[in-house]
Amino acid sequence: MSPLPTELETELARLVAAVPRPREAAVDVMYALQRHYGYLCDEAMHCAARVLGMTTLELESLATFYDYLYRRPVGRYVIHVCDSVVCWMFHQDSIFDYLCRTLGVPPGGTSEDGLFTVLPAACIGNCHNAPTMLINGRFYDRLTPERIDAVLAELRAGTEEPVRCK
Amino acid sequence: MPDLIIDGRAVSVPKGTMVIEAAERLGIMIPRFCWHKALGAAGACRMCAVMFTAGPVKGLEMSCMTPAADGMVVETFHPEAVAFRRSIIELLMVNHPHDCPVCDEGGHCLLQDETISGGHSLRRFPGRKRTYLDQNLGPFIQHEMNRCIHCYRCARFYQEYCGYRDFGPMQNANRVYFGRFDDGALENPFAGNLADLCPTGTLTDKPARFVSRRWDCLRAPSVCLHCSLGCNVTALSRYRRVARIEARENAAVNGSFICDRGRFSAGYEAIPERPRSARLDGNAVPAIEAETALAARLAALAEKHGPGSIAILGGLRSTMETQAAGIALAQAAGWRAPAFFATRTEQAATQAALAVLTPPRARSLAEIGKADAVLVLGVSPLFDAPMLALALRQASRAGAKIIVADPRPVALPLPFTHLPVPPRQFPAVLAVATGSPDAAAAAAQKRLPFAPELWPGLETAAKALAAAKRPALVFTPGLAAALPDDDRLGLFPVLAQASSAGAALLAPTDAPGLDELAADVAAGRVKGLVVVEADLFAAAPGLAAVLGKLDLLVVLDYLPTPTVAAAHIVLPTTTIFESGGILAASDGRLQAASPVQSPGDPVARDGAGSHPPRAFDRPLPGTDPAPAAFLLDRLARGLGLTLPREPLAALAAAIPALAGLDLAALPQDGLRPAFAGLAAPLPAPLPLSAESGLAVIYTDALFATDEPGRYAPLAQAQTQAGPPVLLLHADDAAALGLADGLADGLAVSLECGNRLVPATLHLSRAMARGVIVVPRVPDLAGLPPILGPCGLRRR
Repeated sequence: MSPLPTELETELARLVAAVPRPREAAVDVMYALQRHYGYLCDEAMHCAARVLGMTTLELESLATFYDYLYRRPVGRYVIHVCDSVVCWMFHQDSIFDYLCRTLGVPPGGTSEDGLFTVLPAACIGNCHNAPTMLINGRFYDRLTPERIDAVLAELRAGTEEPVRCK
Repeated sequence: MPDLIIDGRAVSVPKGTMVIEAAERLGIMIPRFCWHKALGAAGACRMCAVMFTAGPVKGLEMSCMTPAADGMVVETFHPEAVAFRRSIIELLMVNHPHDCPVCDEGGHCLLQDETISGGHSLRRFPGRKRTYLDQNLGPFIQHEMNRCIHCYRCARFYQEYCGYRDFGPMQNANRVYFGRFDDGALENPFAGNLADLCPTGTLTDKPARFVSRRWDCLRAPSVCLHCSLGCNVTALSRYRRVARIEARENAAVNGSFICDRGRFSAGYEAIPERPRSARLDGNAVPAIEAETALAARLAALAEKHGPGSIAILGGLRSTMETQAAGIALAQAAGWRAPAFFATRTEQAATQAALAVLTPPRARSLAEIGKADAVLVLGVSPLFDAPMLALALRQASRAGAKIIVADPRPVALPLPFTHLPVPPRQFPAVLAVATGSPDAAAAAAQKRLPFAPELWPGLETAAKALAAAKRPALVFTPGLAAALPDDDRLGLFPVLAQASSAGAALLAPTDAPGLDELAADVAAGRVKGLVVVEADLFAAAPGLAAVLGKLDLLVVLDYLPTPTVAAAHIVLPTTTIFESGGILAASDGRLQAASPVQSPGDPVARDGAGSHPPRAFDRPLPGTDPAPAAFLLDRLARGLGLTLPREPLAALAAAIPALAGLDLAALPQDGLRPAFAGLAAPLPAPLPLSAESGLAVIYTDALFATDEPGRYAPLAQAQTQAGPPVLLLHADDAAALGLADGLADGLAVSLECGNRLVPATLHLSRAMARGVIVVPRVPDLAGLPPILGPCGLRRR
């Protein structure tokens, strides 16, 4: 286990100190570690357990429950496509299908270049802009195949190095 | 007291009772999966839906989530409720594999029962079933996740009820998975209950896997022999070996659960080494021959040296019938009074610990679970009496403050205050903690001047006990004399072994200690010794060392102990599984165990793995063992004496606490005698001075430190190989020059009698100064109470 960067350790300590009981900070700590590692690898889980004084099982219960904590490697951009009633009412063809076909991945899969992971989400609370998807915390509204192509192209043009977990 | 009508029958239940429990009182079993008496409701399975036709609640509701209220009219067989439950069971079965023929739960499976009673017999859903990967959860519990119906009983029991955190639910929705973060043994010493709790074959008893269908087993109510609490169990036997032990409900003692020691320590009744035939001077002989020779030799001894040269020694793992028969025989034959305890002091202390349990002060284990402040003195609950830890956990969950004063490092799955004090300071701790809370600080400083680290803990204890409505004290026998005379404070003793209480109740006042017997044997005053179900090498090493001086050593036992090996005459006895009997729990509660199987070699060994020989004129092998009480009675006849027909009943009639009790018809929950209190104040025990060395504290492990458990293969497999591990306070180790680089895991030798026993020394700061903690293994049984300065040295 390689040691965490000092800033991250400080940040985790701050998160834990800010709440009355450490376990209240569990999800925040896991987010912080996910940002560092790219996803919640076992190493990250053990780090979180150490920082929070919880067991890895308790953290696994949380990490596997929530949609935005990833226990498996994901691409640089995680696309949560809304797969719920309102978006189904508004879509022209299946947005979800289109994404999978365009990227050449099955649901939950990551594209070969490691850039995109496509995940279905049960409502992301953006129904007034249906059909919709959420990529790394940003909404993309009123999707059409053309708009999706444009979004993917724009993201591909980004030059940031994807974070990977050792 | 709400009054309601369920299926046309009126019932009145205490406020807060759920409808499902109210129905149970009428004998109506509403289908359920997630609801369990001990765990309460989760509302997860929707199986217990019933129709409320009139009253404050109307319509279809979950009976486990609806408190009973006045005027409710409930119909469990309303067509709408029946249809609803049929849909639910069909949904639950969508993913459940149809593998009942190879599933160990088959035959005692709640899911099977309720699928059939719910009327679901044809699968309509054509899709694929959800599947999981299983985990290896250690030696006791088998994981088969595909069978799970997500009732959450296991997780609620494991995390909430027991307080362990390495097993629980993961993922969400249809993919919920119960398991650990990764493969590995479950840490919870009560995890065996998962096999009883799980309503499907997801979590089953691993050692009992593929051994037998439950309906093929002989079943009988029994009582656990592996600590002094007397938890109730059901023994299941198949082909003359115990196939499985299950928890048996007793609301006053163990509730619905038992610990893993009690569940997985059977098996000693079926080991090949068990004495199965009588032995005379090392040769197997027919029982009648050994008995005749025994009577002749005893008569000759009595003739030559007088009847006082013969002593009988009773064990602390025998039934009370056996103990009573030994006492009756000694009285009838004029032998020395029978010895049970290591010393007279120990006997008097155990008797006092029971005598103080007057009706207003006695608490049952269940009542400890309901106390609101508990002081535990000299007991490490998880190891000395595991189910006590679970009771304390329940008390703690309800807000009770738990204080444990014990020299050993104590681990418990609950928040508690640990006061690491040596035994000589227990009376001081007791006095301060049960004294006035305002004077506690001053008293603590006065009585424990050299332990300032304990003062805050003692003050908290005094405050908690004074403020509590139902305070309780859990104590070891040695403290009976020091107990405060306060009826508010409930008492619950924890004794050394399963039958310690029985022996204390029955033993005559002039019964010598084993140390006295050893002196008498060494001096030649005792020439013949009859040992009934005891191992001298573990219980009385001093006596074991002088066995060579005896003219006659007779051992009646069901375990292949070294004492059996040293005996001139051996008579094999039956285990509790074969003869049953009455046992007294640590609070004096008398409970009856029934026999479940006949003695005899297990069929598996008789047939060497195959079918046993098909010769019908062949006697069954290994059937010589007989109940010890029966053998003692035969021995008396051989000596021309007549014992009472029921020695226990006869003896009990003369004991004030037991007189008038009908021992032949003990109630289901057992019967706690009403003790009268201490007749005369006990002399305070002599304080042990620690100046000269380290006080020796024996400690139990979860497995295989109790005597029957030592001979149980499965329990034995849980112990760690290698030299015994000793524990010493880090500062004491430093003073002894043992705290250098190798400090944790230092190879040492321990002087035990005239031998040097190799051991490993571990250091701790969570324990008392001036003591050395030694595992209770026969190798180390003969240590002096105070280990001299040279007793522990570097190897």
